[in-house]
Amino acid sequence: MFGFLVRRLLSAIPVLFVVSVVTFLIMWIVPGDVTAELAGPDATPQQVEQLRRLLGLDQPLFGRALIWYRSLLHGDLGQSYLLNRSVSEAVFERLPVTLSLAGLALVLSVLMGMLLGIFAAIRHNTWADQGAMTLALLGLSLPDFWFGLVLIFFFGVQLGWLPTGGFVPIAESFTGWLVSMTLPALTLAFTQMGVIARMTRSSMLDVIGQDYVRTARAKGMPFRVVIFKHALLNALVPIVTVIGVMTGVLLGGAVVIESVFSLPGVGRLIIGAIQRRDFPIIQGGLLITAATFVFVNIAVDVLYGWLDPRVRDDR
Amino acid sequence: MTVDNGAVGDLAKEMAQARWRRRADFFRRLLSHRSFVIGLCLFGLIVFLAIFADLLAPFDPNKNDYRNILAPPSAAHWLGTDGFGRDILSRIVHGTRVSLRIGIVVVITTGVLGTFIGTFAGYVRWTDTFVMRIMDGLMAFPGVLLAIALAAALGPSEINAIIALTVTFTPRTARVVRASVLVVQRQPYVEAAIAAGAGHARIIFRYILANALSPLIVQLTFVFAVSILAEAILSFLGVGPPPPLPSLGNIIAEGRAYVQEASWISFFPGVAIACAVLGLNLMGDGLRDVIDPRLRNVREAG
Amino acid sequence: MAQVKGGDIIVAQGSNPPSLDAMVTSSQASRNINMNIYETLYGFSEDVKPIPILAETVEISDDGLTYRFPLRQGVKFHNGKEMTAVDVKASLDRYREVGATGNLLDPVASIDITGDYEVTLTMNEAAPTFLEAFSSPRAPAVIIPAEEAGAEAGKTKFTGTGPYKFVEFVPDSHVKLERFEDYSADTRHSGADGFGGKKTAYFDTVTYRIMPEGGARIAALEAGEVHVLEQIPVPAAKRLADDPNIETHQNMPWAFLTFIMNMNVPPTDNIKFREAVQVALNMEEISAIATEGLYNLDHGWQYPGSTYDAGDIGKEYYNQADIPRAKALLQEAGYGGEEFSILTDSNIPEHNKSAVVIAENLKEAGINVVINQVDWPTALQVRLQTEGWNGWTLMMGIEPYLGPIGLIATLTRDKPHFVVNDPELDALQARMVKGQTVEERQAIFKEIQARLYSFFGVVKVGDTGLMQATRANVKGFKPFRFPRMYDVWFEG
Repeated sequence: MFGFLVRRLLSAIPVLFVVSVVTFLIMWIVPGDVTAELAGPDATPQQVEQLRRLLGLDQPLFGRALIWYRSLLHGDLGQSYLLNRSVSEAVFERLPVTLSLAGLALVLSVLMGMLLGIFAAIRHNTWADQGAMTLALLGLSLPDFWFGLVLIFFFGVQLGWLPTGGFVPIAESFTGWLVSMTLPALTLAFTQMGVIARMTRSSMLDVIGQDYVRTARAKGMPFRVVIFKHALLNALVPIVTVIGVMTGVLLGGAVVIESVFSLPGVGRLIIGAIQRRDFPIIQGGLLITAATFVFVNIAVDVLYGWLDPRVRDDR
Repeated sequence: MTVDNGAVGDLAKEMAQARWRRRADFFRRLLSHRSFVIGLCLFGLIVFLAIFADLLAPFDPNKNDYRNILAPPSAAHWLGTDGFGRDILSRIVHGTRVSLRIGIVVVITTGVLGTFIGTFAGYVRWTDTFVMRIMDGLMAFPGVLLAIALAAALGPSEINAIIALTVTFTPRTARVVRASVLVVQRQPYVEAAIAAGAGHARIIFRYILANALSPLIVQLTFVFAVSILAEAILSFLGVGPPPPLPSLGNIIAEGRAYVQEASWISFFPGVAIACAVLGLNLMGDGLRDVIDPRLRNVREAG
Repeated sequence: MAQVKGGDIIVAQGSNPPSLDAMVTSSQASRNINMNIYETLYGFSEDVKPIPILAETVEISDDGLTYRFPLRQGVKFHNGKEMTAVDVKASLDRYREVGATGNLLDPVASIDITGDYEVTLTMNEAAPTFLEAFSSPRAPAVIIPAEEAGAEAGKTKFTGTGPYKFVEFVPDSHVKLERFEDYSADTRHSGADGFGGKKTAYFDTVTYRIMPEGGARIAALEAGEVHVLEQIPVPAAKRLADDPNIETHQNMPWAFLTFIMNMNVPPTDNIKFREAVQVALNMEEISAIATEGLYNLDHGWQYPGSTYDAGDIGKEYYNQADIPRAKALLQEAGYGGEEFSILTDSNIPEHNKSAVVIAENLKEAGINVVINQVDWPTALQVRLQTEGWNGWTLMMGIEPYLGPIGLIATLTRDKPHFVVNDPELDALQARMVKGQTVEERQAIFKEIQARLYSFFGVVKVGDTGLMQATRANVKGFKPFRFPRMYDVWFEG
């Protein structure tokens, strides 16, 4: 088990190296830099040039890359040009917002998806089954930001039940956090619950057809117990495997949803940094987000390897 | 298996007939698959709108009318007008064209590149680790974050959106192709062909790719669906195709400032996207069921 | 109505301030916040005249070569220290280095401390309009403590002398200010006057929430989660006009909507072509769509009725929408279908909307138009290049407000917006700056407007307005160039 963990961790190194190269390339293709906006629409080329020297942006790209990698090895991601703080400060300040949004959405989509899947499996081959599966697929087919706008319109504006945006840190007030996160997390969860629902349904159907379940039922075990004791437990294993992929989708989705609901997360940090050419934040933000995703996947792999020992020997 | 020369011609004829029968059978099964047919109808509707946009749209989608800004749905403008006084219905009809065009091009580029990279990595084994590590690196960016970053960096244009989406979805496609290449390669008939001295080109095209095609088609159906969604996201964030080009994402983006005053602007194009994507997803499910039910969990693109 | 102290007022704005180091940025998102934190020696009054703020007064020598600024005494910085001449000199020296409009100190030969509470500026040559330029809030020459003046751009502690002091800035979330209890109000006035006057802070704290989604900002105002929207779309303002909980405020005129052409590259290097563009445009259509209905049609390069209003000069070219005449001019210009690339940005709706309508107008005249929509920083970068664009849509907010000199500065000298200098306009600018009296300058400005309507480097599209909204319990709010958070209070 320990060897498996070490192997997985080592394999993350080349991946993260590729990530760092890609982030550097993105910075390289971004036209222009931060100075034009800082100097404003009335600035002359001379003023812009002066500001550029001041920020060290007149250095050649390769030199900047070397400096970046050297400080990266010391765990230093550099300083933001605009935010008056270090990149790691800026990113780790935002990460809780994005992670708690993705996390809550994950919990919600697993819960909603499993309920939907169980419902469909129990009513197998009925209209209820069809309806549930269509709903699951519909969720997967909606543009998430659009669905967010629709939810804002109904729950925020028409009914006035939930705030339309903004963020309350969990440390400040748990209920405040939950209230501010409900709509964004629901939006994301609705677009992802389909994956879980479909998976739950098919693995439950597999299990329900198996001999031991039939035996259990024949022995007079109540249907509900059979479903929850055998079928559901078995359905859990494949669900764990998709959680890794889903985390990625949810993290990526969170980036967009943050903009819709005015949440100060990493996604908005990165998009804002690209728009304002805050290079160190672009690099650091992308790198840390990707690293988070890679490590979540490793954690999922390890969890899966623990649930199903064949996996770790196979790799 | 030994076959004497005289029987070869008959066998070939028989095989061709069998192939034809299999194909007919395939389409029959496909067309009796309920969700595939529903999906085909939904997606077909959008394709129909896109093809006959010029005939169907009641107005020029870029015709401004400043006396008719943000008009609610009416007899003249069935779905209302936007902040320029342009007819929303006409813009949606023309917008399907842009969204589908981007989707198709991304499917083609992703299919070609993904097949090439996946086959290369799977077939030329010593490059496998290196190539797939790069793919893993690209896939380490969660969801459409890489596409957003790339499109923002390249600047908003249709071609840049296509590049961004291709870079994002190619690794997933390459992985699917590589997986089936690895499986197919170990099949006895491929090993037999190699032993018989068949050339690389013949092995790759005749045996390996022919067999990797089914999962690829299923995968590309989903790539089409997510491309349409992702284009909408890029446009929404202002890094997609620029105005006045109507794409479904653009129209939603332009309407989001008026969620309360003119909710019709954003609402209807979202429905059109949902139709197209739901249709593609249903078709993809149907294809997968009919081609090979074991592929149940091929759903890499997200 | 009794003013009440207390409360946390929440102001929503669409984007982060690029910097809270006031002198390095001319961005409006920064100015909105910074002008509550910082103060300048001189600034504009409500009717746009320079008035002393941190200075007692100014004594200008008869030859116009020395400006002696005695300072108000006992003015405290947010760090508790008293402001002296040392701080003023250090701030102005820093302004010269990193100020976004540091070149306004170009006519100044030296800045000298001539007393504990007195600074004297010595000019290279007489500059009759220097004080107006020096009072400009565009990238204001604010006074900060000497010990922070050594900091790089954006790296100060954001210490000022204003009625509110900086508490924290969490980008993409909020900026928080709190009332500065030791604020030294300017007792020469009875209340706030423009950027100066006697300012009284009533709120305990001011929170600027950064909310990029327009719809979310409005919904938050309606729900009472925020109290002030510094900008609200016109349709939303119309809808909210009847809401008893909300007051809308109209700021009109707020800005010029302009269309700038690059005189360096074909086809816009041809004066006949540019004239064709001028007469082809339907200003009413462009303005109505770009501003969502809040506009005035006006050809003038100063607001109607203002001191320098040049009357009907150029009116015959304005709002013509004359496609046949445009076509004839294009033929005269020998236009052969070259690409006409309009640069615009995705961040400012007026910019990209007017670009779209302008493109449709010009297509009708037979011009081969493409729109190049990029993000705002890229647009600012591209327009600095001498080629690669033909037209650029720009709202000039602060320039017309600053008067004719502020406006003309962007069209002459170092780098005119239209890339190639117009020698006649440059000569007029030089005369304008040296104009001794208002009458003399008014006459020169008439020539400037006539000149602008003879080479068509920049098209005036119209005057635009700005809608703002507050909750009804916010009292004392008067629309201004930035949302003033002093002399405003919650109803008790």
